[in-house]
Amino acid sequence: MTILILGGSASGKSKIAEDTICSLCSSRKYYIATMKVGNDEENIERVAKHREQRREKNFVTIECPSNIENALKEMDTQKNVLLECVSNLTANEMFFGTEITSIEDTVNNVVNGIKTLAKECDNLVIVSNNIFESGSEYDESTRDYIKALGQINRELIDVSDEAYEAVVGIKVRIK
Amino acid sequence: MKLIIGGYAQGKLDYVIKKYNIDEKNVFDYELPTKEELESRSGSKIVINTLHRIIKKRIKEGGRPEEEIASFVKKNPDCIIICDEIGNGIVPMDPFERVYRERTGRILISLAENAEEVERIICGIPQKIK
Repeated sequence: MTILILGGSASGKSKIAEDTICSLCSSRKYYIATMKVGNDEENIERVAKHREQRREKNFVTIECPSNIENALKEMDTQKNVLLECVSNLTANEMFFGTEITSIEDTVNNVVNGIKTLAKECDNLVIVSNNIFESGSEYDESTRDYIKALGQINRELIDVSDEAYEAVVGIKVRIK
Repeated sequence: MKLIIGGYAQGKLDYVIKKYNIDEKNVFDYELPTKEELESRSGSKIVINTLHRIIKKRIKEGGRPEEEIASFVKKNPDCIIICDEIGNGIVPMDPFERVYRERTGRILISLAENAEEVERIICGIPQKIK
């Protein structure tokens, strides 16, 4: 079973995603963390908060900021996986090479990586962001990033059995 | 308490005014009503409009919007709260804007948990999500 959870910032999507994978599997699960934490205090705080939420829920964390299929190498035969999140993964694939990766290559890398993962997993819950409704104007590379993530979300929802949007902490079914 | 959310200019306030037959003098923007304002409207349904602006203002003033709003709702369990959805964009460069989005989102999650009903308005049309 593959389930996609979308949501804006502070929409409660992480908690919904954790509850979802926990309802599918009560034993050990894998948590694929995609964020490059660095030295940013806000990020460190955010990661600490998410770790706290996952504590005692039986998650093994795999850090995998790009080439997401590599996370499979660190798993055993039982694969119940929470991937958080596609927006970080997309930014890492697009911006953290020596030059900016094109929209097309970024979409292919992310989507193919996640499809490989989905094929191997017993259950996969994917978290992605809604960054599409602020109405603000952005520079070209940010616009490219938004386009890439929009296309990735559309392709991921195609391969998902179910999809939900997190809205003020409430799970709203969209597929 | 009922919570109404949605994007900017989606007709949230108009929807609430029509549905509950609200007198506009009972609608509060920018600030939570004072004790005196509430006493003079005793028995009427109170609407807090643009909660996100109240949150932003109180964060700027160094206030504690989380506690202030929770305490207001506790004292006014029949109120209606309207708030824009502001978290569905690119993470802002400005640190204050990031904090504002994060705190507004968390406040809404907590209000939604306690709300008897949550509706999301798009083009003036409600979707009941709780």
